[in-house]
Amino acid sequence: MIQLTELTKKFGDKIAVDHMNMSLNPGQVMGLIGQNGAGKTTTFRMILNFIAPTSGTITWNNQPITQQDKQKIGFLPEERGLYQKLTIEEQVLYFAELHGMRRSDARTALADWLKRLDVVGKATDKVQSLSKGNAQKVQMIAALIFNPELIILDEPFSGLDPVNTSIMMHEIIRMRDQGAMIIFSSHDMDNVTKISDNLTMLKKGQVILQGGVQEIREQFGRTRIYVEGPFTQTELAQLPGVDHITPQGAGFDLVVTDEAVGHDIFNYVTRNGYIPAFSQQPPTLDDIFRQEVAHNA
Amino acid sequence: MPKGLMIVIKQTYRNHFKSRGYWLLVLSPLIFTGITFGVTKMQGNTTPNVAVIGNPAVRQVMMKSEKGLDLKVSAITSAAAATKALDKQTLDGMLTFDTHGATLTTQPKSNKINQEAISSILGNLARTQKAAQYGLTPEQTQALVQPYQLKAVVKQADNRTTNGDNSSMTNYGMAVAIGVITLAVVMWYTSMIATEIANEKSSRIMETLLAATSSNIQYFGKIIGIFALALTHMILYLAAGTLAYIIFKNNAVVTGIAHNFSGITVGFTVYAVCFILVAVALYLVLTAIIASLVNDNSQVQQAVGPVTLLAMIGYFFSYFMTNMPNNIAIKILSYVPFISQSMMPVRLVTKVETWPAGIIALLIAIITLLILAWFGRRIYAKNVLSYSDDKIMSQLIKNIKRRD
Ligand SMILES: Nc1ncnc2c1ncn2[C@@H]1O[C@H](COP(=O)(O)OP(=O)(O)OP(=O)(O)O)[C@@H](O)[C@H]1O
Ligand SMILES: [Mg+2]
Repeated sequence: MIQLTELTKKFGDKIAVDHMNMSLNPGQVMGLIGQNGAGKTTTFRMILNFIAPTSGTITWNNQPITQQDKQKIGFLPEERGLYQKLTIEEQVLYFAELHGMRRSDARTALADWLKRLDVVGKATDKVQSLSKGNAQKVQMIAALIFNPELIILDEPFSGLDPVNTSIMMHEIIRMRDQGAMIIFSSHDMDNVTKISDNLTMLKKGQVILQGGVQEIREQFGRTRIYVEGPFTQTELAQLPGVDHITPQGAGFDLVVTDEAVGHDIFNYVTRNGYIPAFSQQPPTLDDIFRQEVAHNA
Repeated sequence: MPKGLMIVIKQTYRNHFKSRGYWLLVLSPLIFTGITFGVTKMQGNTTPNVAVIGNPAVRQVMMKSEKGLDLKVSAITSAAAATKALDKQTLDGMLTFDTHGATLTTQPKSNKINQEAISSILGNLARTQKAAQYGLTPEQTQALVQPYQLKAVVKQADNRTTNGDNSSMTNYGMAVAIGVITLAVVMWYTSMIATEIANEKSSRIMETLLAATSSNIQYFGKIIGIFALALTHMILYLAAGTLAYIIFKNNAVVTGIAHNFSGITVGFTVYAVCFILVAVALYLVLTAIIASLVNDNSQVQQAVGPVTLLAMIGYFFSYFMTNMPNNIAIKILSYVPFISQSMMPVRLVTKVETWPAGIIALLIAIITLLILAWFGRRIYAKNVLSYSDDKIMSQLIKNIKRRD
């Protein structure tokens, strides 16, 4: 288990990470979200011991992280970088070797990975000949090929098309199912929701939300209603408890002040019987994120 | 040795060893030497052929000493034939005699003829003939013809004498050899290590590397890996040199050089080689430290520049030194690390310094190497992951000032 306790980092007067607490168990995925400059990368850098915390502790199974432990960490840095002059194989084999994997094992595994991640190119191609997306996949392979116990991915999906994004997400889930601890940062709430068990939302270094994805959403109440039917916008807007309304495709999105009014709204819109859609949901993470960022700004 | 260290060393070594750049570096001086040698050879027979006209006795003597005169006595014996051959440029020189002496006629494209040697042999002949006319015995003649002997000897404090002539040649040759070797190796390999580190830093590969290993392993691995490449390079040249020596053992130039270096012992050779290796390591460590401050490849020259300059200074001092071995500044500098390698070995072989002094200078260099490597480790660790816009040198000074 990874445990961050009251982790704080100051750069001069500036607090980049402020008394952060977090724990992560094997087989769990933790999504770290926050605006630019919220402190995500700084947190990762402290876990990897690139920079020392100003105060607070980081432990792995109740012990400080040692050099031996670091061999078992797979890391995808925010700023990607590979040796342009080396081939895919030379590159991946070197990184795998540094993580304690045998070259021959890594060579065998690499063929598998290249196929699974659908990398365009051969193992003997030079990195400089790869497209950005393919280079990123190679870097992902380098971070995961040795079956790390802890995986740290700093914005793993940035710069990937939707097809490749889902390939990567699939790999993350596969590693999780093998029992790895995974922590990643992202700006895309949709992706975070899809693969995270838990999430931590940071704002200016402070944790403003933390917990299971569904749990957090429920915490805000089921205040989002989507309806489709023969109604006008003004008609729905005048219903009691409706805060505001926006047309959405064939229907309307309603934000209500209290989830209890859902009942009355349902009764009102179905008074004549069948309607194609009625759904009452908690706010999406995206909504929550925007709301929280705007809130106490 | 930590496992990661071996991996980094191997990777550094392997990548360069397999690269075309490395072999270009290793082979180009060899190829250059080979071509120069080939061109000299291809000019073909440069031994001049000289016709000796109208004096069969002299002709006989000259034919006997062709080797010493470095010429070939032509079969032509008639003046007319010789003049014709000169016009056709198939003959290099024609030697004719009159009562006052001899005349050497050459043509514009003649190979160089050693006139002093001819003059000396003709002079001896003339004196011998005159002596015979005066009725001197062969012994008296011999004594008369014998050139005066001036022998140069260097007096050493330990009362041994050395052949002064030889050692001043050796002195100069050694200074040049050690200076050139160190300077060349330092220039090639410091820029190699700097480029390597700058590349890893600017491409942010460093983060991936440091996620797996410590910065110490990266730092020492890089230095040892590049050092091993430099060592390989030197061993290859040593092998090439030995091979060339075996092949051309009987070549006059080679025997000449070998003769000049004959005073150098095995012990001294080991010492000089150790010194060069320690110096190369010193320069690599210094460069690695400075290169850790670089942000991207464009700053490599800024980092390597001062290091190269330092190497140059040592090289130039080694020239001064051959002229004024007792200058106090030179004496001090021959103990200063980064410079001592091009001074102390030469001073030792020319007996300006004694073995204890030589060993002390080497020890100072080794201790400096260890201390520098140890402190550099921290500067490296602190800077490989940070990117500053400051000038490299001001960053370095800042780093040295606050060693937290
Ligand atoms: N080396 C540093 N020196 C000074 N300030 C720093 C340093 N590194 C980070 N910061 C500051 O710390 C804060 C957190 O930065 P961090 O890189 O962790 O943000 P982030 O959440 O990763 O942002 P992004 O989404 O843009 O990657 C920022 O305000 C940043 O300016
Ligand atoms: Mg970041």
